[in-house]
Amino acid sequence: MEKALLGFAAAMCVCGGCVTGIFEGKVAIQAVESIGKNPDASDKIQSMAIIGAAVSETCAIYCLLVAFLIIFILGA
Amino acid sequence: MKIQATLLSVIIITVFMALLLLYVNRKLKAFDPLSKPTGIVLLVITFAEMIDNMVRGKTNERVAKYLTPYIMSVAMYIFLANIAGLFALETPTSNYSVTLVLGALTCILIEVYSFRERGVKGYIKSWFEPLAPFVLLNVLSKISTLLSLSLRLFGNILSGGILMSVIYQMLGSISKLIPVIGKFNIVGVIVAPVLHFYFDLFSGVMQAFIFITLTISFIGKELPNS
Repeated sequence: MEKALLGFAAAMCVCGGCVTGIFEGKVAIQAVESIGKNPDASDKIQSMAIIGAAVSETCAIYCLLVAFLIIFILGA
Repeated sequence: MKIQATLLSVIIITVFMALLLLYVNRKLKAFDPLSKPTGIVLLVITFAEMIDNMVRGKTNERVAKYLTPYIMSVAMYIFLANIAGLFALETPTSNYSVTLVLGALTCILIEVYSFRERGVKGYIKSWFEPLAPFVLLNVLSKISTLLSLSLRLFGNILSGGILMSVIYQMLGSISKLIPVIGKFNIVGVIVAPVLHFYFDLFSGVMQAFIFITLTISFIGKELPNS
């Protein structure tokens, strides 16, 4: 019973990644759109998009980390 | 004394990298600059040019001279460490100590360049920007840079490895349904290479690229005329 609850808690944690996925996709959409409008600035836009995506991904990584901690430390 | 699996693979990767660089050095010395580059020489020239352009775009000429070799070696090391799983080694970047060291190196470099640009007085003042009570927030932001840099690399590579082992278990239990040859994981041999391509190669290259891009732009942020 306790193990099932821990698994459920870990699954709930990873749900935080959903929002990050949606909005990281939005970063990519905006980057593609702005490269289409202004192809000369593609180098700058590319690096900015990667940095933005990577920084907002941090949130999802923390969710994943908490899930790992629940599974491997509390569940062990 | 027992040697950890991660430590062993770190040693193997370092030795491999040193031998590879010696080989490349010999090839480059024998290379005639007027002829057309081929093979490993072409690869090395393209790689060096790419990193050099990235560093020069974000920082100034003086910094780029010393920063480019460091960035190149870090990129090579992270890439080799990420794909170590393909060669039956323990992946070093799925151990938090390794990524923490890499993140700490970046943070130390940021502080060093900030100190060099601002001088002693300006550096101490930069901790109390814009007002004196903000020192707490400044300390927190420096710690969060370290944590997010190291945890990003660690989390991505570790999750890839765990997903691969879960998939192998699942494919193993599927192939047990096949009679006679089912004990040998036959479905895994067919399905797994595609997933290895994504989780090891693609994600490894991506994470190495993101790590060096973030390192360069964090250092570039400290420089005034970039």
